[in-house]
Amino acid sequence: MAVFDVYIKKVAEYIEAMQASGRQVRTFDCPSGPERLLNGLPVRVGPGAGSGIVLRGDTFAELGSPEAGSCAFPLWTNNTSLVKDCRITLIGPDILESKGASLPFGQIIMAAGEKLSEKEHSVFDESQYISDQIEGYMVKSTPGRMWTRISNDAAERGFGFEALGKALMAIYKSHAPHVEAMEVVFVTSGKEDVGRLDEIAEQVKKISKDIVRETWLARGYDILECTLGWDCGSCPDKAVCDDIKTVLKVRKKKAVDTETA
Amino acid sequence: MALVDKHPEMVRYISELEWFKFLREQTVALIEIPEMQLQVKTLDSLLSMYGRIIDAVENNKPFLASYYCLAPELYTAMDLPYYMVMQTPFLASSVPYLLKDIDAAEEMGLGNDLCTAIRLSIYYVEANLSPLPTCALNLLYPCDGAPLLHEVIKRNQRWRNIPMFAPDPPYYMDERSLNYFAGELRNMVKFIEKHTHRKLDLDKLKETIECSNQMFRLWDEYNQLRRNVPSPHGWGIGGPQCFSQAWVYQAGTPEGVDWFKKLVEIAELNVKAGVGPVPQEKIRLFWFDLLPFGWVFEFLPWLESEWGAVMVMDMFANFPYTMIDTSSEEKMWLGLAKRNLFDSPMVRQARGVADNFANDIRRIVKDYKIDVVIWPGHMGHKDGSATVGIMRETCRDLNVPFIHLGLDLFDKRYSTPDQIKDKISQFFRAMGLG
Repeated sequence: MAVFDVYIKKVAEYIEAMQASGRQVRTFDCPSGPERLLNGLPVRVGPGAGSGIVLRGDTFAELGSPEAGSCAFPLWTNNTSLVKDCRITLIGPDILESKGASLPFGQIIMAAGEKLSEKEHSVFDESQYISDQIEGYMVKSTPGRMWTRISNDAAERGFGFEALGKALMAIYKSHAPHVEAMEVVFVTSGKEDVGRLDEIAEQVKKISKDIVRETWLARGYDILECTLGWDCGSCPDKAVCDDIKTVLKVRKKKAVDTETA
Repeated sequence: MALVDKHPEMVRYISELEWFKFLREQTVALIEIPEMQLQVKTLDSLLSMYGRIIDAVENNKPFLASYYCLAPELYTAMDLPYYMVMQTPFLASSVPYLLKDIDAAEEMGLGNDLCTAIRLSIYYVEANLSPLPTCALNLLYPCDGAPLLHEVIKRNQRWRNIPMFAPDPPYYMDERSLNYFAGELRNMVKFIEKHTHRKLDLDKLKETIECSNQMFRLWDEYNQLRRNVPSPHGWGIGGPQCFSQAWVYQAGTPEGVDWFKKLVEIAELNVKAGVGPVPQEKIRLFWFDLLPFGWVFEFLPWLESEWGAVMVMDMFANFPYTMIDTSSEEKMWLGLAKRNLFDSPMVRQARGVADNFANDIRRIVKDYKIDVVIWPGHMGHKDGSATVGIMRETCRDLNVPFIHLGLDLFDKRYSTPDQIKDKISQFFRAMGLG
C-alpha cells in the first residue's frame, strides 16, 4: 500500500526544512529487533511495566498539553526504502534538558514492511497510546491529543527521547511482526513547529478514517452512515412500514369518524 | 401565601428539594470520610440550584428550562438560572415516588415502550409538575424521543405561550457542522436576550468559560487517576458528580473549580495509599451508559461487595473534551459548539456516527485496564442498541468480555435488580472473572 508514501516524503521534507531553519536536530540510530531495542533501557517496557499514570507532583516534564500544542500520527508503507530502520530524530530540546517544562510535542511513527496491510492499520493507530507499557511515562487518556508526562523517577534514571523512541519501536514491532523498518520523529522545538505538522496530520486522518470505514464495511457495518435509514427504496423492511402506515391511516380515520358521529 | 398555592407547578420541584435536603442530612452524618465531605458539597451545589429556581419563581425573575448540552456556560455568564426539563430522571431518580410517577405517566396513556426519561418528563409537564420558565430551550437531539417530548411541551396548554427555541443539530462531525451549530448557539443567545432582557457580556462569557476550562481540566486529571489499579473511587463518587457539577450545578463557576480541586486531592491521596472502594478490586467495569439511578442503591453496592467489581468508567465520566479557546469571540462559539454537539455525554454517542462507540470502547478499555464492558441496553436507548454489533465486535478485537443486559435505568420492574444480578453473575462466572 502506497497511500501514505507521499506523507512519509513530506515528513522527510519537514525535517530538512527544520534543519535548514537552524533548529537543533539530533538523530539516534539504534539496533534492530525488539529485544536489542530494549537492551539497556533505563525503564521497564511491556504490558504492565508501569502503573500507566504519573501524578502531578511526580512529574518531571509534560509534553503536548493544550497550551503547548501537540500533534501525533502513524504512517506506514510497503516500500521499505522510505523508512530508515531504527532511526530516531529529535527536533528541539530533550526531556532531560527540560526539568519542570511543558513542551510542545510532535510524534510521528513511520513503519515499513512488504507484508503490511490495512489489517494492521488499527494496530498502528492504537499502539501510539501506550497505556501502562512504559514505566514512568504516561500518555493521558485524552482523545485527539498526544499529551504525556515523564515521572521524576524515570528522568533520574535517564529516560529521554532516545529511550522513548526505542520503547515505542519495541512495542510496535512486538504488536505488528510484519514491520521491517521503523523510524520515529519527535518535535519539541516550538508550538509553531508542531503546528506545521497539522496539515499532514489532517490528510492522514482522512485516509485513516476511510481505511477504518472500509475495514468495518468488510465486516458488514457502516460506522459512519445508516444507509438504509436514508433510502426507503432500498430497505428490506419497506413492506412492513407500508403496512403500519396503512393501519395508522385506518385508525386515524376511525377516530375522526367516532368524534364526528 | 405558600409558594405552591400560587405556583402549583412547583410541588414536585419542592418535593425533590426536600428529598435532597434529607440525603444531605444522611451524608453529613458521615462527614469524617473525605468523599462524604465532597458529597455534601455536591448536594450543596444541587440545593443551591434548586434555590435559584425557587427564588426566581417567587420573585418573578427570569429563568430557563434547558439542557446540559445546550451550553450552560452561557446561562452562567448571563446570570440566568436554568433547570433541565428531564431533571428528575437525570438528577433525581433516587426520589422515593419515582415508580408512582412512572405509573401515572402510563395511566396518562404514554406507551411503556417510550424511554422512561422522556415519559416521565412528558408526565411532569402534562401534570403541571414542572416549573414554568421565562423561556424554554428545547432539544432536537440526540434521539427521536427528545423532539417528541418537545412536541408535547409546545402543545401543552400551560407551556404553549412560553417562548421556545431549539438549536438545530447537524449530523456529521466536520467543520461545516461545527460552524453551523456555533451559529445556532448565537441565535439561541439572541432569543434568550430578547425574552429575558439579560444581555450576554462577552468578557463575562470569557471569564465563565475559563472557569469551565479549569473544571474540565481537573476532571481530566481526575480521570487519569481512575486508571490506577485499584481505582481510587468506584460508582459512589466520580462520573455522575463530575458531570452534574461541570454541566449542570456549577457550569463555569469558581465554586465548581474548588469542588474539582478537592476531588483530585482526595483521589490522589487514595492512589498514593493504594486505596480503592473495595478491599480487593477484582473486576474493572466499563458501564457504557447512565448509571441505573432508579435502583442504583440496590445494584451497584452489590457489584462491589459480591464480586469486587468496580465501575472504573461510565458514559458520563468519559472525557472526550477539549478546552475552549477564549482568545477570540469566534473561537469561543466554535469551542462551545464542539463541546456541546460532539463531546457531551450521550449526545456524543447517540447523535453522532457509530464510530464513536467503537473508538470510545477501544481507548477506554486500554487506558483504564477494563476487564468487562457492559452495555446496559436501556429500553429507551434504541439508537445505541442498534450499534451493539459494532460494540461486540470491537470488544472481540480487544479480547474483552462484552454483555448486553436489557433493562430500564429508571424503572426496576422492567428487569428487576435480582434478574440483572443473576444475569451478571452467570456472565462473570462464564467468563472466569472475579
